[in-house]
Amino acid sequence: MLVKINSVANVGLETVPVDVEVDVATAGFPGFTIVGLASKAVEEARERVKTAIINSGFDFPPKKITVNLAPADLPKDGAAYDLPIAIGVLIASGQLVPPKELTEGKMFFYGELSLDGTLRPTRGILLLALFAKHKNGSMIFVPSPSAAEASVVSGVTVYPVAKLTNLFGHLMSAEPITPLAHTKYKISDDEELIDLDLKEIAGQEQAKRALVIAAAGGHNVLMWGPPRTGKTMLAKALPGILPPLTDAEALEVTRIFSISGLLPPGIALIKKRSFRSPHHGVSAAGIIGGGTNPVPGEVSLAHLGVLFLDEMPEFPRSVLESLRQPMEDGEVEIVRVAGHVRYPASFTLIAAINPCPCGYLGHPRRECKCTEKQIAKYRHRISGPILDRIDLTVLVAPVEVEKLSITKEHTTNNLTSKEAKTVVVKARAIQSKRFKGTSLYTNSQMRNREVKEFCHLTPEAENFLKLAAEKYDFSARSYMRLIKVARTIADLTAEDTILPVHMAEALQYKQLT
Amino acid sequence: MLPSKKVGEWKTHPELVRLKDLPSPPKELFYSGTWNPQLFHSCVAIVGSRRMTDYGCRVIEKIVPRFVFEKKTIVSGFMYGVDQYAHQVCIENGGKTIAVLGWGIKRELEGADRKLAQSIVSSGGLLLSEWEDQQATLWTFPVRNRIVAALCEDVVVIEAAVKSGSLITANIARKLKRKLWAVPGPITSRTSSGTNALINQGYARMWLGDEPTQVPIMKDPLLQLIQENELTANDLARKLGKPVSEIGAQLSLLTITGQLTERGGKYYVSEN
Repeated sequence: MLVKINSVANVGLETVPVDVEVDVATAGFPGFTIVGLASKAVEEARERVKTAIINSGFDFPPKKITVNLAPADLPKDGAAYDLPIAIGVLIASGQLVPPKELTEGKMFFYGELSLDGTLRPTRGILLLALFAKHKNGSMIFVPSPSAAEASVVSGVTVYPVAKLTNLFGHLMSAEPITPLAHTKYKISDDEELIDLDLKEIAGQEQAKRALVIAAAGGHNVLMWGPPRTGKTMLAKALPGILPPLTDAEALEVTRIFSISGLLPPGIALIKKRSFRSPHHGVSAAGIIGGGTNPVPGEVSLAHLGVLFLDEMPEFPRSVLESLRQPMEDGEVEIVRVAGHVRYPASFTLIAAINPCPCGYLGHPRRECKCTEKQIAKYRHRISGPILDRIDLTVLVAPVEVEKLSITKEHTTNNLTSKEAKTVVVKARAIQSKRFKGTSLYTNSQMRNREVKEFCHLTPEAENFLKLAAEKYDFSARSYMRLIKVARTIADLTAEDTILPVHMAEALQYKQLT
Repeated sequence: MLPSKKVGEWKTHPELVRLKDLPSPPKELFYSGTWNPQLFHSCVAIVGSRRMTDYGCRVIEKIVPRFVFEKKTIVSGFMYGVDQYAHQVCIENGGKTIAVLGWGIKRELEGADRKLAQSIVSSGGLLLSEWEDQQATLWTFPVRNRIVAALCEDVVVIEAAVKSGSLITANIARKLKRKLWAVPGPITSRTSSGTNALINQGYARMWLGDEPTQVPIMKDPLLQLIQENELTANDLARKLGKPVSEIGAQLSLLTITGQLTERGGKYYVSEN
C-alpha cells in the first residue's frame, strides 16, 4: 500500500512542500530504502524510525519498504523527516487508519525521532507554521519541545507531540492531543529586554551620547581607545536603546534563529534585538553564512540588532570586505551547490579598535611600545570602503579611578536606557514621517540626493561646515556623513533645520585622521 | 635614493671645528642636500626616546618653534619617536634641520622615512653620516650620537628612560662640555625617568621653557578649565555638569576658530 504524507523542506528562509511517499510492498525481499536526494542525516532516518517504531510497541513490517522524498531533485537535509516516514510506515503497513484530514493533505508532520519514540527539538518549526498557514485548516504535528515557536502563527493548529504513541492515539481519535493555544505577541514589559543599562556604565559620556545618536539614526559606530575602557560594555548597551521590534520584525528575526536552530526550546518569539559578537577568528562563511546547505551567518543573526566586532583590525581582511554587501543592501546572497539563498542582514555595526597594536598610544600613564610602522600597518587593515560606511567615530578613553566616584551623582549625563529609548523612538518617528513613500527608514541610509532634499542647514551651519572642511580637509564623503549625523542630532531635539550647534556636535564624531 | 656627496677634507672646514673636540672624530663625512656652512653656526640637539609619549610630543611642539625663531639649527638622529618628530616640527615651522644618520648615507630609505628625508633636504637641511654604505646595527647608533652631541652648543633631552641611547648622547655632551638640558617629566613615567635622573644628579639643567608670562584670564569656564589641564569632552562635561552634547558642540566651535587644539580626544589651549 502507498501513502503520501505532507512535510516541508527549508531552503534558506523559503519553505518548499515535500511529499513523503511510503510504500510497503507485498512482494520482494525485506528492505528499507530512502530515495530523493537525501543527505546522510536523512539516510540514517531508517535506523531511527525502525527502532522508534519497535520501541513504541508497534510492528515494523518485515517487507520491502520504499520511501520517496518528492520533489526528487531538491536536496534534503536534517532529521525532520523521521516523523513523516514513521507515520507513513504505520499507515502503509495497516497499523494506523489515516484520518480524513490526512488524506486531504491538511496535516503536516515534521520532527526528529529519538530511538525510544520521543520527539526531539527540531529546527525550522516556525517556517513550517508560516508555510502551513497559507493552506486552509492546516494542522501541524511538531515536537513538543520546539512547538512554542509555531504558536505565534495564527490560522494554523499546532499539535505538540511528545511521543510517537501520543500521536498514534490522536490519529486514532482515542486520546486527542490538545492543540497549542495561539500566543499573541505583545511586548508588555520592556524592562526585561535590556541586558545592560546605560546608567551602569561609569563615565564615557560622549560614547554613550554617540550610541543614542547611532540608535536614533541607524548609524554605524567606531569606538577607539585602549583596552579595558568599556568598549564591549558600551556595545552591549546598544540593543537596549534601540526601538522595540515590531511584530513583523520579531517574526523575521525569529525565522532566522529558527532555521539556524538557535531558538531556545520553549521560546515562542524573539523579542529582544540581537547582539552578536563573533570572535576575530571567524571565517568569511561564518560571518556571511554558508555551508553546502547554506545557513545564516553572524550578519543575519544580527539582523535588526547589533553586530559588534571587537578588535576590528584583527579580523581577516576577507571577512571585513565581505561585510560590504550586507552593509550596503541589508541582505546577503549566498550561492552554494544546494542553491541560491538570500538572508536578511540589516544590522548596526559597532567596531572597536585599539589606537595601536599594544593599545596604549595616547594613554595618560602608560607608554606605547609600537613603532610608527606598526601603527600605520594596524590602521591600514581596515579598508576605506568599510570606514566610509561608519558615520560615528568616538574616543573611549580610560576613566581615572577618582572620577568614578560612586558617591557623587552626575545626573546631567546619567541617562538610563529607558530614557534613551524614549528619545530614540521619537527621533525614529520623525524619520519615518520624513521618508514616507521612499525606500528609506533611517537617516544613515540617505544618499546624496536625499541629503540635499531633506537636510536643510542654516547659513551659519553651512558656513561652519565649510570652515571645518577646510581645516580638516574633508572628502565629499566625509562632508555628507557629517550632514547625516547632524540631521540625526537635530531630530533628537525635533528641530526641522540643522543649526550650527548640531553641526558642531556632529564634528565631534568625525573620522580619525 | 637621494644624491649624496663626500665632504672633502672635513677637518679644513671651519664650520666643522666642533667635531674636533671629539676624542675619536669621524674619518670621513658624507651628506645629502646642499652644503651650507651657515647651518652649523648655531645648533641645538633635540634627542629623546623612540617611544615618545603624548607629553614628549607636546614638549617638542612647544620648544622647537622657539629655537627656529632664534634661527638655530635643530640637530637630531633621524630615528622614529622624538628624533623624527623634532625634525618634522622644525620643518613645519620653516626651520632648517640636520639629521645625523645611524647608517651609511647610501642606504635606501622607505615609506615615511623617505618622505621625511626628502622634506629635510628640500627645506634646506642636511642628512649627515660618517659612513658611505654601513648597515644600521646595534653599535652604529651610539657611535652616531657622538656627532650629534659634538655639533651642538646645547643638547636638550626630551624624554629618555634610564638606560637609553639618549643618555649616551647626554653623557658625551657632558664630557664635551656642551650645555646639557633635560625636560622634567612625571615621576610615574618610565620615559621620563632618565631625564629626571639627569636633573637630579646635577648633570643637566632643568628645561622649563619660557618664563611664565601673565596668563590671560579667560571668561569662559570651559576655556579656564582647559587652560589648567588638558581635558577630554567627558571630563569637561563632568566638571561643568552640562550635557556632553552641548560641551561637544562648544569644543568643535572653539577648535574651528583656532582657540583650542585637539589631539587624541584631548583638548589644549592653542599656543600663540
